[in-house]
Amino acid sequence: MDRRLLENRRRAIAGYLFISPWLIGFLTLTLLPILGVVYLSFTKYDIFTAPQWIGLGNFVRMFTGDPRYWKSVGATFYFAIVSVPLKLFFALMVAMILNAPHRGLDFYRAVYYTPSILGTSVAVAVMWREIFGFDGLINALLANIGIRSEMAWLGDPRTAVWTLILLVIWQFGSPMLIFLAGLKQIPDELYESAHIDGARGVRKFFWITLPLLSPVIFFNLVMQIIFGLTVFTQPFIITQGGPLDTTNFYALYLYRRAFETFQMGYGAAMALVLLLVVAFFTGIVFKSSSLWVFYESKEGKA
Amino acid sequence: MKRTVTAILLVLFVAGMVFASGEPEGEGSDSLRVMWWGSQNRHERTIETLELYEANNDGLEVTYEFAGWTDYWTKLTTMAAGRNLPDVIQQDYAYLTEWQSRGLIQPLDPFVDSGLFDFSDVADANLAGGRIDGQLYGVNLGVNSQCMVLDVARFEEAGVPLPDDDWTWSEFEEIVLKLHEETGVFGFGAGLLGEQLWKSLYLADGSWAFNDDGTALGYEDDSVFIEYIEMVLRLQEAGAIPHISREASDYANGDNLEMQPIIPGDAAMASMWSNQLTAMWTAAGGPEERDFVMVMLPRLEQGRPGHYIKPSMFFAISRDAQNPDEAARFIDFVTNDLGANQILLAERGVPIADAVRDDLTTRVGRPQEVVFEFMSRVGADSSPIPAPDPVGYTDLIQNVYFPVVRDGVRFGEYTPSEATEILRERAAEILGAAN
Repeated sequence: MDRRLLENRRRAIAGYLFISPWLIGFLTLTLLPILGVVYLSFTKYDIFTAPQWIGLGNFVRMFTGDPRYWKSVGATFYFAIVSVPLKLFFALMVAMILNAPHRGLDFYRAVYYTPSILGTSVAVAVMWREIFGFDGLINALLANIGIRSEMAWLGDPRTAVWTLILLVIWQFGSPMLIFLAGLKQIPDELYESAHIDGARGVRKFFWITLPLLSPVIFFNLVMQIIFGLTVFTQPFIITQGGPLDTTNFYALYLYRRAFETFQMGYGAAMALVLLLVVAFFTGIVFKSSSLWVFYESKEGKA
Repeated sequence: MKRTVTAILLVLFVAGMVFASGEPEGEGSDSLRVMWWGSQNRHERTIETLELYEANNDGLEVTYEFAGWTDYWTKLTTMAAGRNLPDVIQQDYAYLTEWQSRGLIQPLDPFVDSGLFDFSDVADANLAGGRIDGQLYGVNLGVNSQCMVLDVARFEEAGVPLPDDDWTWSEFEEIVLKLHEETGVFGFGAGLLGEQLWKSLYLADGSWAFNDDGTALGYEDDSVFIEYIEMVLRLQEAGAIPHISREASDYANGDNLEMQPIIPGDAAMASMWSNQLTAMWTAAGGPEERDFVMVMLPRLEQGRPGHYIKPSMFFAISRDAQNPDEAARFIDFVTNDLGANQILLAERGVPIADAVRDDLTTRVGRPQEVVFEFMSRVGADSSPIPAPDPVGYTDLIQNVYFPVVRDGVRFGEYTPSEATEILRERAAEILGAAN
């Protein structure tokens, strides 16, 4: 008895040792900074001098005395609510096309993934300006079909956010690859037997593909919601939050408060709220998952 | 149990190795790290100067970093937080006090006393801007001032005579409209509601944007600014300056010199700091292809010049400097060495050492000649230098001035009087809390 307990404990320790690289990384590079953020959010901190405890001051100011804050919250939700479903839709469609047997599939997979790699580079910022600027491609195309456009798409508060939505939709590479992996997991027999039963394309999609893919959709949805609410690089390099703060998304505004106007405490408070909001939405998705996510293995056991 | 302890120690040891490897390796004795902001032109000149300095000093290893204005300060503050600032950092008049009050830069008088700095050839007025409470913290790299740059060819094309230094804002408005009508390009480029012009406006009115304590705005009368904003709106309406949406999408809101529409010839005028002319002229094709002149900013009716002579920027020695003496020697080299200045060619502003300036007048190209000549005119007719911008200035500009005044009014979100009222209230709130 004693020996077995000892054996168990030794195994547990061995297990912890094996995951210790990750564990140490998590503790020092994730958990500690998060605790630091929690502390800083109750302080006034300008990076250079020691933080000063001000209790709930940052939060009070954030919720009641900063009009830019609420504008930023609104812009972020607008962006996430529009871009996430569209991006997932495109990713799934392209994944379906690439899942069918074609020649040169590897090539296409690589090609469709490239935007995701380029997406956060300065080159894309330049390209987006060339496309959506006043003298850009879109206006040139419109001029060709006889429409004289006076729109500076990137600089107009009505359209700027849409250029960024387009950009992140275009960067559908990573959810696409995950969808593709999910599609490959679906056994061919299911499609074959459905085919024999007389089911055709659309029915197969809704009755086989979607249910069996639902865990992957679920995963992608969670990841993309987190991405959508914390998007930073695209607005940072392309619109710098303008025009009229319509692309001043939460993470960008947080960064500017922290590093451009040196209000690290305020930035930390914003970060803490962001963490809670993202956790909240992820929680909702998790809770609701039992209603629509279908795990094959579970079904099999029952 | 013993094995467990051994294992834990082993893990800690490995972790220690991993984290230790992240530390910088430089020994610090024979190295010099320099960092600055600027345009491509400045980067090239500065790098060449650093290479010359390295070649002159056997065994010295020079490393450098550079960035644009905004990125520079982000990088630098991050380095300050990590206690890893370069030895020599470029500083601005706006931030010098803030950095000094936080102990991030070293007092330089000890280096003057020890003879590493030789300022025998420098007029004291040229060093004054770098002093805080009588102590020197930054060595001025050149003097400059705000200016209006005019594309001569466009003025000729429109048949508009070049204005004199004492022109007024109402003459400016007429000229912009005329230029636009006659040539089709913008009469003035991006950034007509930039924060520098706002501040110059009140300097010309005999006050300053901020009060002496830096706790609120320094003027009572908003109407001067309201009239100015209304002029900007009229010009935008007439299409004589770019619409704000186009400034945002194509011209980086007038913040990035290299994207100013005057460069490709899409605008006939631009306002900038005088030391930026060289970079702008180069980007526009050089003196062989283009001709520009500089005049002072327009004035209010019966107003004073909205100009002061500003130390364009400083070199300062940081708190974290590994080798302050070497840093001081390098700053002295930049200040006094003729060879170094023949490379730098007054790109950072008109040099402060008399011998250097005399040497350069015969060597500089047309752009610097225009700047030298302009600065001597400003020197004869300018307002005294106002106090550096108060702590909290960046907050006010970024979170109030830009969204409400610069963009908000021009997008029609606020009327000029609403905007100036918000600016006044928030300035008192933000600056009052910070100072």
